[in-house]
Amino acid sequence: MSEVKSVQHAGGGLHDELHDHAEHHHDHHHGNFWTNYVFSTDHKVIAKQFLITGIIMAIIGIGMSTLFRLQLAFPDQSFPILETLLGKWAPDGKLDPSFYLALVTMHGTFMVFFVLTAGLSGTFSNFLIPLQVGARDMASGFINMLSYWFFFTSSAIMLVSLFVSTGPAAAGWTIYPPLSALPQSIPGSGTGMTLWLISMTLFIASSLMGGINYITTVMNLRTKGMSFDRLPLTVWAFFLTAIIGVLSFPVLFSAALLLMFDRLLGTSFYLSDIFIGGELLHYQGGSPILYQHLFWFLGHPEVYIVLLPALGISSEVISVNSRKPIFGYKAMIGSMVGIAFLSFIVWAHHMFVTGMNPFLGTVFMLFTLVIAVPSAIKAFNYITTLWKGNIRFTPAMLFAIGLVSYFITGGITGIFLGNAALDIPLHDTYFVTAHFHLVMGSASAFGLFAGVYHWFPKMFGRMMNPRLGYIHFWFTFVSLYLVFFPMHFMGFGGVARHYYEYTNFDFMSNFGDLSVFITISAIVGFFGQFFFLANFFGSIFWGKKAPANPWNANTLEWTTPRLPGHGNWIGEIPTVYRWPYDYSKPGVKQDFLPQHIPAEEIEWEEGFQPETPQPEVVPHTAPETVDQTEEKEA
Amino acid sequence: MLEAQSLIQLAQIILIAIFVLVCVNLYLVFRLKEIDPFKKWNPHAINGGLFMVFLIVGLIAAVVSTQEYDKYFTLLYNPNSIHGVEIDRMMWNTMFVSLFVAVVTNIFLFYFSWRYRQKKGRKALYYPHNNKLEIIWTVVPAIVLTLLIFDGVGVWHDIWAEPEEGEEVMYVEVNGKQFAWTVRYPGQDLEFGETHVSYINEDKGNTLGFNMSDKNGMDDLVTYEMHLPVGKKIDMKIRSRDVLHSATIAHFRVKMDAVPGMTTHFPFETRYTTKEYIEKFNKPEDFEFEMSCQQICGAAHNNMRLVVVVETQEEFDAWLAQQRTFAQFYEDTNGENPMARFADSEGEKKEEIEEAQPASETEEVALN
Repeated sequence: MSEVKSVQHAGGGLHDELHDHAEHHHDHHHGNFWTNYVFSTDHKVIAKQFLITGIIMAIIGIGMSTLFRLQLAFPDQSFPILETLLGKWAPDGKLDPSFYLALVTMHGTFMVFFVLTAGLSGTFSNFLIPLQVGARDMASGFINMLSYWFFFTSSAIMLVSLFVSTGPAAAGWTIYPPLSALPQSIPGSGTGMTLWLISMTLFIASSLMGGINYITTVMNLRTKGMSFDRLPLTVWAFFLTAIIGVLSFPVLFSAALLLMFDRLLGTSFYLSDIFIGGELLHYQGGSPILYQHLFWFLGHPEVYIVLLPALGISSEVISVNSRKPIFGYKAMIGSMVGIAFLSFIVWAHHMFVTGMNPFLGTVFMLFTLVIAVPSAIKAFNYITTLWKGNIRFTPAMLFAIGLVSYFITGGITGIFLGNAALDIPLHDTYFVTAHFHLVMGSASAFGLFAGVYHWFPKMFGRMMNPRLGYIHFWFTFVSLYLVFFPMHFMGFGGVARHYYEYTNFDFMSNFGDLSVFITISAIVGFFGQFFFLANFFGSIFWGKKAPANPWNANTLEWTTPRLPGHGNWIGEIPTVYRWPYDYSKPGVKQDFLPQHIPAEEIEWEEGFQPETPQPEVVPHTAPETVDQTEEKEA
Repeated sequence: MLEAQSLIQLAQIILIAIFVLVCVNLYLVFRLKEIDPFKKWNPHAINGGLFMVFLIVGLIAAVVSTQEYDKYFTLLYNPNSIHGVEIDRMMWNTMFVSLFVAVVTNIFLFYFSWRYRQKKGRKALYYPHNNKLEIIWTVVPAIVLTLLIFDGVGVWHDIWAEPEEGEEVMYVEVNGKQFAWTVRYPGQDLEFGETHVSYINEDKGNTLGFNMSDKNGMDDLVTYEMHLPVGKKIDMKIRSRDVLHSATIAHFRVKMDAVPGMTTHFPFETRYTTKEYIEKFNKPEDFEFEMSCQQICGAAHNNMRLVVVVETQEEFDAWLAQQRTFAQFYEDTNGENPMARFADSEGEKKEEIEEAQPASETEEVALN
């Protein structure tokens, strides 16, 4: 309990007290196993909890995708492994059509919410915000702990829903009613969907508690000198992500709540005029379109909730490993703010052909294509950061570069889909699947990998094996391109998403061998992840001991000891004197210049005259004299 | 047979086990003796080089595979609707812009990664920003996107424009349910009868929910194939009686959700009959336009196929004349004439029926 108290007091004027405490603490752990590792309020422990839960959910989520890929590639074949794993859902090794939809749905839910929202944002916001802004912990360690345990409960319920007798939710990860509201329409809309909604409610609560904490910490607990224009781009990204989350997740909550009412209390928010399973239902006057509005009001910002942290991480990783300042720091912040704002007014581009008034489509098309501009700026700035750098290929750097490639390739197809007229043919085809899996799925997953490889030394005090990291990268990078690039072809072929098999339509049945190719690539990519798992869990115990600052990076987290204890810094929190991207600054002896080094302690190269305020006056006078001479000559 | 298979399996397991053991042994030996066989490998050169290899091989593979699959790109070529031509034109413009940007930026990304890989003695350039560059790559994408937006808004607006006065529009209704499409034509009176889910009576074959006391519905034609006259403005009404569906005719660039509780629509005009389309674009003899469902709707979502036939006005009229009206269908199925109730009712209604009678007679004549 002493830990909890010290955190709660950490707000003000306690540096000295904490100094003693932290030093003391570093030598031997207070508290017991439960308070240290399970119900911990330390942001670093909570971050690791989020990460490991996220990894487990990712294994299940990606595993599901390989199962339904088997069905898509070999619709006529039976796989005994399916029956072993899925039992009654795959009689004779052939996937049940409605369970195929359940797998697709749960794959989406797991990956979008549990892996790329909680696993990515939850891990790195928690881990990096206090360390990079110079705080002892989050503003509220207790709420932070609750945030994790709500997430844990939510994950547990979602996992339980896989085992109910009618199967898990099967209406797509967007769970559009009426399909999601009526158990008659698909078995997954029974208990499975109820559990889905309960789980998601807890998830939203978790996400809100986390978000409020991140925002408060960034606003209030920055160390001396850490002004907003000296924040690392990671923190900017997490900060904006948290704001988006806090503003949009409650809307998903209301959508889920109304759906729950429709399902359990017989209200008609989303349902009207329905005859199903041979009987007329009583629902009158609701609108499924209302649900879509509410869902996408979160759903679209959600895309950026997933993507922005990844972009923040890649900004940091690319700058550190190029040994160059990130190009256009302020433009990067500006474009992230722009993306964050615009993400709230583009949601209906998911609904161009759902029966929404076409006039609305025009408006949303305008905003949607506008959001491409800040995204383009970001991509160009990454590339310019690499230009004339001194690029060090750590595994994290490889993943960050891979992220930029996915971000470009996947993002560019957004200008097809954002255009309402082009969305008519492309909507709900594999083109959409390809688009968001590249730009949101793969890019964000690479952000997660880059973050893990980069900050692993600070998380666990040991290095990951770089060679396994390289192998993992090339496996993943190539296989993901091989999986998702051909999907554009299927999209142009008009092949619909969510199809159990394509054999019923002549124009869709030409892509059989391409499906096989995609499935094989996906399975290879899936097995490539074992290099990561082995590396990750192996290195926790047997990795090489890490130095305090293995990457020669500037940000504050690397000024902590090798394995920072509770309170992060032994002694005072460092003061910040500069922005975080002074890499390869001319005249400085080393190629990095940490944020906490004051001007008088900088080691200059021999013979280099550091700039002093005086020389700046010279250019001002010089032109005047020139002018005078010119006048005289004239 | 079985024994041979299990032997092979056993052999595989043993081989894998040997392989794993060898790997573990090598690892332990290297670790204990502190030998690093890959020490001389420079990760910067290898990874940087691999990026270049990936770029070149990837671009070649992309070009080759695109050519291979080009013939299957239904959504890029030969639209069979007037608005589809506009959509395809814009699709290709967007394609050129986006391919150009994606290829060029990816080339720079991978080339720079390789070119500026870490080397001894290299120092990175301190280059934190350049306002001119940043303004250029803010403004240029903004202009390009503005052009695309204007084009897109124009095409989008034209698709949804109200029909001009005097323009003849043919209405057809497509009804989605789990898991089939049903088509309805308004019949002689050119007006759809009232339908509502509460009137549905599956036992009597009233699957669309005709209001039996609305005479307009009695001459409606219910079919399970959609026939359309070529070159005529068509407004397709779309409805659903259970969950969301999406009426998609890929070759027409038509797609609109079917939403229970409301009627959506999609206006379009076809360019070629099915026969002309087959001849013009070398399609196989048995080629058919197909309507699919592209909004997840349940277990047999992939099974909602409706054949769409485009034909000349004469062919269409002939086909339509062969279809039974709802009243006839109802009588044939249930043995009771739904028109009888209109004859029974008094006053005004009788007159209406008398007016309507010739219409149904002519239809019968047409049938004969």
